[in-house]
Amino acid sequence: MKKTDLKKYSKQLIITGVIVLVCIILAILKPGREELLRRTSPEMQTLIDADANSSRKRVTVTYNDLLIVNYVSLSSSGANVLSERYVGFLGQTWSADEGAAKIAGQMINYTYRMLGCGENLMHGAKLTVLLTTLTVFFGVILGTILALGKISKRKLLSRLSSAYIFFFRGTPLLIQMFVVYFTVPGIFGFAWRDLFPASDAEAVYKGAFTAALIAFALNSGAYCAEIVRSAIQSIDKGQFEAAKALGMSYAQTMTRIIIPQSIRRMIPNVSNEFIMILKDASLVFAISLMDITTISKNIMTSEGSYLVFLPALIIYLVITAFFGVLFNWIEKRFSIYE
Amino acid sequence: MSDSYEYILKTEHVSKRFGDLEVLKDINLSVKKGEVICIIGPSGAGKSTFLRSLNQLEKITSGKIFVRDELFLHRENDHTVDRLPADKQQELLLEMGMVFQRFNLFPHKTVLQNVCEAPLVVKKEKKDVVEKRALELLERVGLADKRDEYPSRLSGGQQQRVAIARALAMNPEIMLFDEPTSALDPELVGDVLEVMRELAHTGMTMLCVTHEMGFAREVADRVLFMADGIIVEEGVPELLFCSPKAERTKNFLKSVL
Repeated sequence: MKKTDLKKYSKQLIITGVIVLVCIILAILKPGREELLRRTSPEMQTLIDADANSSRKRVTVTYNDLLIVNYVSLSSSGANVLSERYVGFLGQTWSADEGAAKIAGQMINYTYRMLGCGENLMHGAKLTVLLTTLTVFFGVILGTILALGKISKRKLLSRLSSAYIFFFRGTPLLIQMFVVYFTVPGIFGFAWRDLFPASDAEAVYKGAFTAALIAFALNSGAYCAEIVRSAIQSIDKGQFEAAKALGMSYAQTMTRIIIPQSIRRMIPNVSNEFIMILKDASLVFAISLMDITTISKNIMTSEGSYLVFLPALIIYLVITAFFGVLFNWIEKRFSIYE
Repeated sequence: MSDSYEYILKTEHVSKRFGDLEVLKDINLSVKKGEVICIIGPSGAGKSTFLRSLNQLEKITSGKIFVRDELFLHRENDHTVDRLPADKQQELLLEMGMVFQRFNLFPHKTVLQNVCEAPLVVKKEKKDVVEKRALELLERVGLADKRDEYPSRLSGGQQQRVAIARALAMNPEIMLFDEPTSALDPELVGDVLEVMRELAHTGMTMLCVTHEMGFAREVADRVLFMADGIIVEEGVPELLFCSPKAERTKNFLKSVL
């Protein structure tokens, strides 16, 4: 990065730096797990101590660590049910059994679950981001192929590409996903989970994810095709002529001259497409994948907490903001020659 | 290269129409190796179209194009009657370098990459050989110090000189110039003309569509005056500029000189 760039972004850099610094300080000040557990009432403490020497656990401990804040929820089983919650923040521990502290504690717990913390990639925000990123990646590749097909002088190729784009833009993504997930295995007699070893406990989720990814990428390819096509056609005709006059073939002209130049022009639209897919990803709800939306709805149903959707919105916003900045940065990287 | 041909480039009855508009009407031109020919004329005369149809950027409607006395392309009524096989055509097309009015440098590549691109990709030459030649060419057009700049950071005149170096990197036998100085600020025209003048002195065969009458007069072996799709008059510069025969030529020269 050049010095002038540093100057231009100094404000953003300072703000980012301050935020990171504050987070680090908060993370250091945050009380540890042991400290939170020591806050419990003497009755609960007795039960915990008893559990430590017994194989039969009577206390269920849920511990959620969210970098700058943490939350613990303890509940005992048996005749005399005890239930306690604590929030740790800024070196302090608060009882989170009622009032604002209770809500704060719930939000921490919900956020923790929707982010998919402590789970594998098939959960929560991880699943959403993974699905979206892979979809855009394959969508752009497929879109480029379709766009080249559509602008091709070969009539058949051009018509096939146009028909593909027409079909996938003209039908709902949800039904496309249903077709990939239910209809295709139905016709060809297989199950998506069988693609993964039966010993894999997550085989069902991985199978559903594969189906969702295929449907999303096929759909996104149609939208990306239009993005790529308009970017290619926005390149000055003189570039084609110069390449041709130098003896370059059509393929050489495309891969070495036209497409590299059109990438920069695609980025704002691809960024837009990314954000659309990020939100469309909540459709995987319908094939029981555990993304942010599914988890929030499950929490709503099982715990009756209508507030769960607020942190869900914030999680989506944060992801959108992060990728917005990332795409801006990529666009700048591709603009060096302008 | 064998020199056993009479004309390096020849056209017979070349016509071109865009819909109802007849841009070129029966153009006949023979170019010998080493000749410098300037094509002048009012805008809309078909000068650029003619140049562009020589290296197949435009498809002619009818007529014949010969390269090194071989029938390169023969078309009648928008249908190809006869032509060289594609690979042979491609080989001969590489002998024609083209310089455009709007430079058309590749903006995402540096000056050196612009010059090296075609020899590396089309001719599959070795990188060190190409780079050495490219640097010599950049030296020749006076831009060796700009090798790592992107075109957007160069002036129009500098960009056009890079474009000339880029065309020369393919070692062409003929250079086609399509109004190379028309898009330039007046003070930048001189440098480009200087490079072209020097190129003419090295014996390069050149076809220049130009509005620079002084240049045409000084450098050209032959000047063609084109108007309304036909060659109205042609001759050595002194004759054409000092004692034009046709009325159209007289009027044109009166308005530009």
